[in-house]
Amino acid sequence: MQSFQELILRLSDFWAGQGCVLQQPYDLEVGAGTMHPDTFLRTLGPEPWRVAYVQPSRRPADGRYGDNPFRLGKHYQFQAVLKPAPKDIQSIYIESLKAIGLDLSQHDLRFEEDNWEAPTLGAWGVGWQVMLDGMEITQFTYFQQAGGLELDPISVELTYGLERITMFLALSRSIYDMDWVPGGLTYGQVRKQDEYESSKYCFEIADIEFMQTQFEGWERESNRCLEADLVLPAYECALKCSHLFNVLDARGAVSVTERVGLIRRVRRMAVGCAKKYVESREKLGWPLLASQSRAAVAAGEESDHG
Amino acid sequence: MAKGELLLEVRAEEIPARMLQPAIAQLATRVFEELMARDLGPKEVETGFTPRRLLLILKGLPAKEPDRTEQVVGPPVRVAFKEDGSPTPALIGFARRCGLEPEELERVTTDKGEYLAATQSIVGVETSQLLAELLPKLLREINWPKSMVWGDGYGPWARPIHGIVAVLAGQVVPFELFGVQSGAQTCGHAVLSPKPFTVRGAAEYRRKLAKLGIVVQPDERRRILAQAMSEAAAELGGQPVEDPQLLDKLVAICEIPGLMHGSFDADYLELPSEVLTASLRDHQSAFSVEAVRDEEDDESGEPPLLPAFLTVMDRSDDPSGRVRVGNEWVVAARLADARFFFHEDRKRSLEERRGDLAHLTFHEKLGSYQDKAERLAELAALLCRSLGWSEEEASAAQAARLLKVDLTSEMVKEFTDLQGVMGGIYGREDGLGEEIWTAIYDQYLPASAEDSIPRGRTGMVTALADRIDTLVGIFGLGLIPTGSRDPFGLRRAAQGVVRIALDGGMPVDLDLLAAKAARLYGDKLTQSGEEILESLRPFLFDRVRHVLGLAGFAYDEIEAALAVGGNNLPDLKARVEALHAVRGHKEFLSLVLSAKRILNILKDSEEYDLDEARLVEPAEKALFAAFADLKGEVEELAAAGDHEGCLRRTAGLASVLDHFFAEVLVMDEDDALRRNRLGLLQAIHRVVGRSARLTEMVVDKAEHRAKFGD
Repeated sequence: MQSFQELILRLSDFWAGQGCVLQQPYDLEVGAGTMHPDTFLRTLGPEPWRVAYVQPSRRPADGRYGDNPFRLGKHYQFQAVLKPAPKDIQSIYIESLKAIGLDLSQHDLRFEEDNWEAPTLGAWGVGWQVMLDGMEITQFTYFQQAGGLELDPISVELTYGLERITMFLALSRSIYDMDWVPGGLTYGQVRKQDEYESSKYCFEIADIEFMQTQFEGWERESNRCLEADLVLPAYECALKCSHLFNVLDARGAVSVTERVGLIRRVRRMAVGCAKKYVESREKLGWPLLASQSRAAVAAGEESDHG
Repeated sequence: MAKGELLLEVRAEEIPARMLQPAIAQLATRVFEELMARDLGPKEVETGFTPRRLLLILKGLPAKEPDRTEQVVGPPVRVAFKEDGSPTPALIGFARRCGLEPEELERVTTDKGEYLAATQSIVGVETSQLLAELLPKLLREINWPKSMVWGDGYGPWARPIHGIVAVLAGQVVPFELFGVQSGAQTCGHAVLSPKPFTVRGAAEYRRKLAKLGIVVQPDERRRILAQAMSEAAAELGGQPVEDPQLLDKLVAICEIPGLMHGSFDADYLELPSEVLTASLRDHQSAFSVEAVRDEEDDESGEPPLLPAFLTVMDRSDDPSGRVRVGNEWVVAARLADARFFFHEDRKRSLEERRGDLAHLTFHEKLGSYQDKAERLAELAALLCRSLGWSEEEASAAQAARLLKVDLTSEMVKEFTDLQGVMGGIYGREDGLGEEIWTAIYDQYLPASAEDSIPRGRTGMVTALADRIDTLVGIFGLGLIPTGSRDPFGLRRAAQGVVRIALDGGMPVDLDLLAAKAARLYGDKLTQSGEEILESLRPFLFDRVRHVLGLAGFAYDEIEAALAVGGNNLPDLKARVEALHAVRGHKEFLSLVLSAKRILNILKDSEEYDLDEARLVEPAEKALFAAFADLKGEVEELAAAGDHEGCLRRTAGLASVLDHFFAEVLVMDEDDALRRNRLGLLQAIHRVVGRSARLTEMVVDKAEHRAKFGD
């Protein structure tokens, strides 16, 4: 298995088989798959949830104009979230590696401590970076807190770095040389120009004042939405701010003091959304709890008949 | 299965490497203490761990607590019986609770009167039963630096638990922890041999795991790994670059200590060895390999690195070579990254990059690193002048301006550990003088108690100035470290100041230096220079005590020397050393005792003049003669810094002083005589206290007598 798209297909197939909703990338700019509302919001509250999706993730400061063979301003994450975390999630994860074609009897697989924290989301968790033959291939995190709220039940989030894994399995010397389509177009043919232009934009062109005005505007809008009890629109405005912050940062327009202040403002929005989300789901009577018991009943009936 | 043997293994998802050793030590100690408290102490305690296992083996455990009798005291006799002698309800109730008839109870006398009591024999609890309660409790109570919760409200613990083996003399000790039931089943390696199997004792446990290549003893894994690495390196004509912490880490991230030995393109050797070693260590937990030189080789400097690396894989072999290929691929990517940074950074010299410091904040309220660089240049130059190191003045100012430039480099952003070192390397490449680039290179020394100080005078001066500037700045904002809160690392900075001044023999006046540093901040500080000194001085002297204590000096030696003043640290140290050297001598100890006696007599006394003509008794005349004889010499010795000579010389007063106190009454009724004698003692007090306040010295009088007679 040596192409980018095969990896996506196999992971999707595997996690769909684990009962995950096969979701699509979020249609706004985000820095990581965790910011997709189907992770950030859904891990809050008692409702069970399983989801998997690819999320293009933008880190403008990591952009290298398409010149660096290992770094990208936008990379693709494959994300699986299971809530509550199954007891045997480590074994399930190891199965997923076999599903993408790894013969683990020939490899060295280790789990090294790597705790995750997202200050802009008021979120943290503990877990590992999963190392395959010395290469980090997955972030494995048990969420403990999100939006400043303690989580119960605990969700597990698995984030596969798709470019890294493909590159590593193909032992490719450059991200841009690896196959996107088996034996067909390369990653570079699909994405290199986009990397160049995005880098150029974020490092040199982006209008700082415009970005700053935008930030203020989306922040106001987020607050207005929240007052109107519209959680998702409020959260989307917060995502906009988060991305604008990243662009400003790449543009070198954020001083150390400002950084702390801006992060605090994004967190305040995210925390507000998290709180409101929990309230609104509770008002609805935690709908997915009901569907879980429905599923349990259905499963029980099945075994009765079996 | 051995009699009295407990095998306890907790299997969890990978516990972080840094937490394993402290956790198992804590568990073993707590279990041992609890058992000892119940007379159930084991004869042997053995521990082990892998990332997925905590292991505790106890041997020679008694089968049960010893049986014992206990006396339970009941009601006093006066309320136990009615007037007719029949038992009251109180007595009947007590007897019933003890399972006895009232007439079976005994009478005991206490200091409160006569009571009824019952003697009960208590059968000791079975060890197994006790362990079933104790083990889950103590396992739960392990104190983790970071923990998590999972499942149905399980935790907090380091990571989810999956299995517990608890077997005492072949039998399962039944308990439950976080939803996991203890038993006799364990399993092998998570990927390579996950099939469960049963173990009934430590020997069987070890045998079965060994068959799977799993080594539970960390020391054994360390030995195996270290040896494999040495052998692999030796084949290349090299040896692993020493790094005990890295080895500890490797030991804590595997169950099977397999050696992963790879190589990289020799082109990367163009990178400085510090960069190669840091990249391999920080990114890949791998050792770099240095060439072993023949003894005849007279090349100086570090030996060159070889294009190879050594690390661990959690398996014993690499059947298809895939593990090695993968590791080499990652290392190549990392080194390519490092080379990219190196060349990017080298596009401009340190001098050309200096302006970048304006954009780097040192502290919100204290300005940028450029501001700091300017202050350091002045401070370093001043320091050189005050030390009479005029030859270093220019180089120190230049080094000070370039000191922090490497903070703007890509390499330091990537490998923060290389700050200073990187600046030094870039300075060397820029063709700066050796005094200057080594000053930049060594600026963070000493980072620990074992480290040496910067190697040259320029380095010593700039490193000292840097720390004083930081200390004064942060103290100047009133941000004084308290308890364990020390976000700016000021204790380490202060310790650096002390070590550099002491080991570097820099007779620098710290008060003056700090005052100058405060002035250089202009109006940025919220505290006045006086206020800063007031809080900084005790903070620094706290470190002085610490450093001298670590160097093996006694508490009283340090205090005695400090009491006379400590701004000039090398002189202070010379006085501490002198005290240490002479304290075992009889005369010196007599002198200390006399000094204490003098202090007692003089306390609350006014100052009096001494008139030689008024001395009448032979003993006081003798004392004066001895004093007059050595006074000038003592002054000279002390001024020249020969404090041992000074102390030895003053110790010459001991016998005349003893004689004086035996023969002469200081507090004579005659005012004139008394005042003159007090004046004599005051003069002696001054000369005796020239190098140290001897009264701070602790003298065990009994010991003194035993050693030297009275």
